Amino acid sequence: MSSEQDQLKETNTEERFSFKKDESAAVKSDKGLTEEVVRLISDDKDEPDWMLDRRLRALEHWQNMPMPTDWPGQPDLSGLDIEEIVPYIRPDVDKREGADSWDDLPEDIQDTFEKLGIPEAERKALSGVGAQYESEVVYQNMQEQWEEKGVVFCNMDEAVQEHEDLVKEYFMTSCVPPSDNKFAALHGAVWSGGSFVYIPEDVTVEMPVQAYFRMNSEGMGQFEHTLIIAEPGSEVHYIEGCSAPKYGTHNLHSGGVEVFVKEDAHVQYSTVQNWSKNTFNLNTKRAIVEKGGRMEWVSGSMGSKATMLYPCTILKGRGASANNITIAFAGEGQNIDTGAKVYHNAPNTKSTIESKSISKDGGRTNYRGLVHISEGATGSSTAVECDALMFDNESTSDTMPYMEIDESKVDVAHEATVGKIGDEDVFYLQSRGLDDDDAKQMIVSGFIEPITEELPIEYAVELNRLIELEMEGSLG
Amino acid sequence: MTTTQVHETITEETVREISESLGEPDWLLETRLDALDALGELEMPDVIRTPGRDWTNLDALDYESFVDPLNAAEEKDQVGPEDAEVLPISEAIEEREDLLKEHFGSVIDPEENYLTALSTALFSTGTLVYVPKNVDAEDVTIRTTQHSKSLFNYTLVVTEQSSSVTILERQDTGEDSEARSASDASGETASGDRYYSGIVEVAAGENSHVQYGSLQDLDEETYNYTLKRGNASDYATVNWVEGNLGSRLTKSSVETNLDGEGSETKTVGAFFGHNDQHFDIAARVWHNTAHTTADLVTRGVLDDEARSVYEGVQDVGRDAWDTNSYQRENTLMLSDESEADASPKLIINNHDTEASHSATVGQIDEEDMFYMTSRGLDDESARNMLVEGFFVPVLEEVEVEELREDLQDRIEDRLHE
Repeated sequence: MSSEQDQLKETNTEERFSFKKDESAAVKSDKGLTEEVVRLISDDKDEPDWMLDRRLRALEHWQNMPMPTDWPGQPDLSGLDIEEIVPYIRPDVDKREGADSWDDLPEDIQDTFEKLGIPEAERKALSGVGAQYESEVVYQNMQEQWEEKGVVFCNMDEAVQEHEDLVKEYFMTSCVPPSDNKFAALHGAVWSGGSFVYIPEDVTVEMPVQAYFRMNSEGMGQFEHTLIIAEPGSEVHYIEGCSAPKYGTHNLHSGGVEVFVKEDAHVQYSTVQNWSKNTFNLNTKRAIVEKGGRMEWVSGSMGSKATMLYPCTILKGRGASANNITIAFAGEGQNIDTGAKVYHNAPNTKSTIESKSISKDGGRTNYRGLVHISEGATGSSTAVECDALMFDNESTSDTMPYMEIDESKVDVAHEATVGKIGDEDVFYLQSRGLDDDDAKQMIVSGFIEPITEELPIEYAVELNRLIELEMEGSLG
Repeated sequence: MTTTQVHETITEETVREISESLGEPDWLLETRLDALDALGELEMPDVIRTPGRDWTNLDALDYESFVDPLNAAEEKDQVGPEDAEVLPISEAIEEREDLLKEHFGSVIDPEENYLTALSTALFSTGTLVYVPKNVDAEDVTIRTTQHSKSLFNYTLVVTEQSSSVTILERQDTGEDSEARSASDASGETASGDRYYSGIVEVAAGENSHVQYGSLQDLDEETYNYTLKRGNASDYATVNWVEGNLGSRLTKSSVETNLDGEGSETKTVGAFFGHNDQHFDIAARVWHNTAHTTADLVTRGVLDDEARSVYEGVQDVGRDAWDTNSYQRENTLMLSDESEADASPKLIINNHDTEASHSATVGQIDEEDMFYMTSRGLDDESARNMLVEGFFVPVLEEVEVEELREDLQDRIEDRLHE
């Protein structure tokens, strides 16, 4: 087994997560992407033929589609070497990956976790140390509760086998077809792992469903696919990832998320991602919302070299609604291009987009969003609000909203402001005895409050701490 | 990828003929010929693209059918006060070649895109406005009435230190346009499509003040491409007012480079589209240095199947310390068949900035309507009053009374059409 070390493009910044896992992969595909690779993946997973067909179709799209390069002001993707991608590594679950124990982790990692205040049990799980941790037990208990209600929460690969009909119907068909964009096509060809969530009619899942409970069993991958089906009247809050620094040996993460919100159902999808700073993070996330349904996206994008992420909601049924809350933090050498897309395709649909971005030390943030109101979507309303905060003159912040309004009986508003941290605000706080750093941190915490208040308390605390650490530069 | 091959139908002779008729010096002829040569490589002006659609499709236009440079015919009034020079382009070439040589193509690169190059190669009419140091020139009027299939118009405004000028420009179409009579005479059902192209360059000297207002009221068989751009030196102000009412399709951009410290710009836009008019309107500003201020205000109303595309760009450069930049755009839709697209963009490379932008799209407020009708007004009068009221905040920004009244009158006319 060779090590993945060679593949990690060394960055000049101090790698925040600079330990390497020794891969113990039972199956490892060749570099680059060919039909053989795709067949190998499918074969190894023992997939039904229809899934192999879908993968091969997606591969064809991937080969024929252009790179997204003509967007104004988009991140530079030239550092992305597609040939270098190893699309598939199946971990050997009998062997533990990573460091053997907490103490083997580099000090700065330990330090980060400590500063984040993450409970030790979770620390171990998150940092890839050991497979025995308490949340596994928690997860088991929850499994039992869910099963009683008919809720399914399992690995996507498992779902292909166990819930074939559902997956066949919903997987990359109507929501995110592989022809959508080049990276959706790539994802469709080589996807692996991720979560499958099915909530039966009128069932409310009280506790957030958290993907990182299963982190050591492929919960987090390079091309993971999340499929959420919320039947009529059901309710669920799905949380992906967590704000601890996530270390990947790959320089490309291209996930796919598909959410089906049926009549009067309510789905919240929260994610705070913090990829290591060598990663290109290019995702496709989309929800289709039926009559009276509600979709909420809460996204925090930190870390990564470049991120392009625009969660999209299609409001298909009368009275459907979407709320997007996004926050982006770009530090040195980072380019975070995020926003939201909403299509109002039915009457009385409502959407809100709230975006906050912070750029520091030459970081680059961009809000890019599209609101489309189709003809006949009478009585629809949308409100978009973008605020950007900049710390210094090396940083940049752009706002590029697009509004396509094909219906007159609507209410559309977009607003954005950009500013630097007010000297007066800092002065005020300093005169109350805070030092400069604390004052700025406090202003930033206030600035991102709309996001943090949407997250469960532990995430909110983590996110705030993480931003504090970013501000101190102790993670950079 | 351009589908228009009009440049293949334009010969060098045509360009030489135009140049000769204006008595141009060699350097200007060379500029024209270079622009003609470049046509093969140049792209159409940028339009906004979102997944699956271009907001304006300029490639689909049949330029060949309406570009007829040798038969250009127009009526032009060019008047100004004594102490400023307001010259038709042929006189300007004769008397002020120095100014033309210095400024022609300095604000807008003739080869910026396909349509600027086409205009550079073929312009046969134009105006030079020159305001010497410390002169305050009011009431410069440029009125262009198009009588031919195509018309390529070029305007250059040069203001020296501490001068000021107010310019009112109007474009419309003559009743007895040649294009129509020609097609009628031949008995063909040739389309009456026409093309108007206007390039405006403003070089605003130190501490000078330029107000440039224009009212575009071409007939609805005319395709209109307009690009206006000003460079503002230290402490200069370049203010634009642009009203768009006419044309079949308009692709217009009003732009200011704030190159000098303390320079300012205010762009006021108003449009009122009906039938199947298509307005693609942009307001752009580049903050290139310290202490600059920009305010972009646009309001538009759409009726019938009219469509508007609005792009606003506030670009704050790395060296633009202490920038203030504001942008507001509001569209009112009067019918279900209309469509309004908007993209207000902020590009910020200097954190010492106070910037904001906003855009809204909506319809007439039902409560307002109810209030008015409950006071005894019929629906139509109430609607008209509300539309006129909608334009008030923009009209208030227009400092030149004559232009304000003109705009108001045209809006009223349209409401009663």
